[in-house]
Amino acid sequence: MTPSIITLGPHQLALEEPMYFKVELEGDTVVGLDVMAGHVHRGMEHLVMKRNLYQNITLLERLCSLCSNSHPSTFCTAVEDIAGIVVPERAEYLRAIADEIKRISSHLFNCAIMAHIIGQGALFKNVMQIREIMQETKEAIYGNRMDLAANCIGGVRYELTPELSMYLGQRMELMKAPLDELYRIYTTDPAIRVRTEGLGVLPRQEAKDYAVVGPVARGSGIAYDVRKKSPYGAYDRLNFLVATETSGDVRARASVRLREAQESVSLIEQCLTRMPDGKSCADILPEIPAGETIAKSEAPRGELIYYLSTDGSDMPARLKWRVPSYMNWDALKVMLKGERVTDIPLIVNSIDPCISCTDR
Amino acid sequence: MATAPKNLSEPLLQLYRINAGSCNGCDVELATTATVASFDVERIGCSYTESPAEADIVLVTGPLTVRVREKVLRAYGEVPEPKITVAVGVCPISGGVFRDSYAVDGPVDRYLPVDVNVPGCPPRPQAILAGIEEAVLLWRARRDGVLPPPVASQPHPEKGAVSTGVRGKMDFNPAACVGCRMCEHVCAGGAIRFNEEFTGLRFTLWHNSCVFCGLCRHYCPTGALTVTDEWQLAHRQDQKYHLTTQGIMPYAPCSGCGELLLPVAPELLRVAFRGTGREIDRLKSLCTECRQKQSIGGRRR
Amino acid sequence: MNDVKDRVQAALSQTGEEPLIEWRSDRKGVLTGWCRLGEAALILPAAEALVGLEGRLSTITAYLTDSARQRGVREIAYHFDLDGTTLTVTIELPLEDARVPSLTMIFRNADWNERELMELYDIQVTGHPDPRRLFLDKSIEPAAFERLIPFSTFTNGAASKALWNKVMTMSGTEKAA
Repeated sequence: MTPSIITLGPHQLALEEPMYFKVELEGDTVVGLDVMAGHVHRGMEHLVMKRNLYQNITLLERLCSLCSNSHPSTFCTAVEDIAGIVVPERAEYLRAIADEIKRISSHLFNCAIMAHIIGQGALFKNVMQIREIMQETKEAIYGNRMDLAANCIGGVRYELTPELSMYLGQRMELMKAPLDELYRIYTTDPAIRVRTEGLGVLPRQEAKDYAVVGPVARGSGIAYDVRKKSPYGAYDRLNFLVATETSGDVRARASVRLREAQESVSLIEQCLTRMPDGKSCADILPEIPAGETIAKSEAPRGELIYYLSTDGSDMPARLKWRVPSYMNWDALKVMLKGERVTDIPLIVNSIDPCISCTDR
Repeated sequence: MATAPKNLSEPLLQLYRINAGSCNGCDVELATTATVASFDVERIGCSYTESPAEADIVLVTGPLTVRVREKVLRAYGEVPEPKITVAVGVCPISGGVFRDSYAVDGPVDRYLPVDVNVPGCPPRPQAILAGIEEAVLLWRARRDGVLPPPVASQPHPEKGAVSTGVRGKMDFNPAACVGCRMCEHVCAGGAIRFNEEFTGLRFTLWHNSCVFCGLCRHYCPTGALTVTDEWQLAHRQDQKYHLTTQGIMPYAPCSGCGELLLPVAPELLRVAFRGTGREIDRLKSLCTECRQKQSIGGRRR
Repeated sequence: MNDVKDRVQAALSQTGEEPLIEWRSDRKGVLTGWCRLGEAALILPAAEALVGLEGRLSTITAYLTDSARQRGVREIAYHFDLDGTTLTVTIELPLEDARVPSLTMIFRNADWNERELMELYDIQVTGHPDPRRLFLDKSIEPAAFERLIPFSTFTNGAASKALWNKVMTMSGTEKAA
């Protein structure tokens, strides 16, 4: 059979963002893939060099709104490391809270879109409605439903009053039953299992070869989580399990995300219990000497790494980062090979791809 | 919600989304207006379409990257007249934080006519709905060949009704400003400018370039900038460049030599000295040179 | 030799050099290693040695700082993950006609990183299996960063200038206090 080549865009792929695939088909079976990136390329690695370290806190938060908090918090960690700033313990917990809130929202959005692709309209709306609990929570605490503006050099610039702490605790309580129910539905519902089990498989060895990260790696049995491997902030004092699955299919990745959302609820509760009183930000205008450093974190989609080099001014000499999605696109070649063309959107969604992150 | 009462006899107007290279924040919020009951666009007489040929209203997000420009313009061109275009978020309106990048070609009104702007980063769904309602009014007027109704005299009906700490537009108090320009320095969106004018130092904040992050407030030493919960900022295109907050810090003559200077704001003295005494009051109206002379001359040790 | 420092030292000495590695430990005990190779071509044996330690290529950073430019060189930092420890291996390249060997045979995820090196910088990656553009539109000239850095000489604020002119003329004088 002669292979044919089709181009798929965001509408066919059920993506919120423009990304295009060239898919090579034999009949309706995928035999090859070329990812055509760059549509959301905003030249951000160049822009950050034209902006000072303070401006970059806000600019980097706009890299991607689904993992928006991971960028300023990891970037600020890099600046703090170079400047030798000790972040107050309370701020470490407040950063973890912000990151985990974003993780729950991000994972739920991905699971919602998955239901949409499968054609489960009611479940789609149900997950979006549950996610609204998180959206309202973010707006009430941070003032915006997507971009939290939580971080600054030296700590955070938001506070949890006793009232807000209690409110957040209540909201987490509100999330527990729905998250348990979603986990049950996504892992046991026959209509979902039939579409997701054994689909888009990434075996463990390929996961290693392609160097995938985050829930994609963990769904293929690689128990790598930056919060455990390179602890930062408050995570060395928090208890949580690294969710893994071994089947490496669409179902496994969804299962990992939903278990992580449950763990995030627990992490936020632990933060609320253990967080000491005190300052939430060190010295507001620190000296930032020349230096270079690496800062890493576990963003919703996996390992995020920042490299920062400074020259003693408040402009970065070089600021580079690599987002988790960047690592996962290529593995689609393995996941899609031999699958039917109609399953492409579901498999693509299962890596929870972030295009604005990838393109920068 | 704000303006357009739902007219049951009208068919649903079709909304078509174009992502012009956005960070996905506005797009995710647009998705909530299709899925979350309380933000449902059907309540305001609209629904989403995947086909530009069926659309009445175009919603554009993102700063318009070089790479998507042709695709955006092609999709826009497929939408039949009469059409109304809404710029959702500050990126399509002004480029936001991405302006002046080699890879960004916006604002979108360089290439296609925009009718309604919805500032915010991202705007909350309520603000997006208000912008779409405005677009519906304009669409009907254009279809009927009449002038659009005047802008409602009360454009912010829900202001104050929201008790949450929504980060809305910034406010500025010139009496507290010391002209240190730290706000301008830390602003990623380039939304703040200081201009030295004949009578004083002018502060201008353009809300269509502001991403509502509040970093200016964080670094303002005297609290001259505050975050308000005013989030309903959707406006017609003719208001685009008028959406500013300004203030003038007037110059005053040095009490020594008469040269014009920016007087020290009381807020700075409060921050620096936790109050003032006679000596500080005397020195604060002097220019740097006169102050040096007088304080060295009057030095006691 | 269970210590990651010893293992990395031993692995990198397989390149034929005995590289000087600076190790730093942060307040949480997370280790980062920093080293420079004497020759750019040594990145290939270094990568081969690190894959033997189950290393993973995290990312590649090319940069051209003013101080390096004055020395007549550019730099590339390769960042490797060793189960939570990050090792940054830096090489220096000439400003003109810079070439590095592709690491794709060792780390297949070097692919996109190296395509970015080629489109954003004036760097050739030899032996790359797919040296097409990745992110940049074809209308943008190659080596975008090269032309635009250093930023002290680059002031393309044209869009901002045009917008602010409108803001100041349309609302500036009207609202004068």
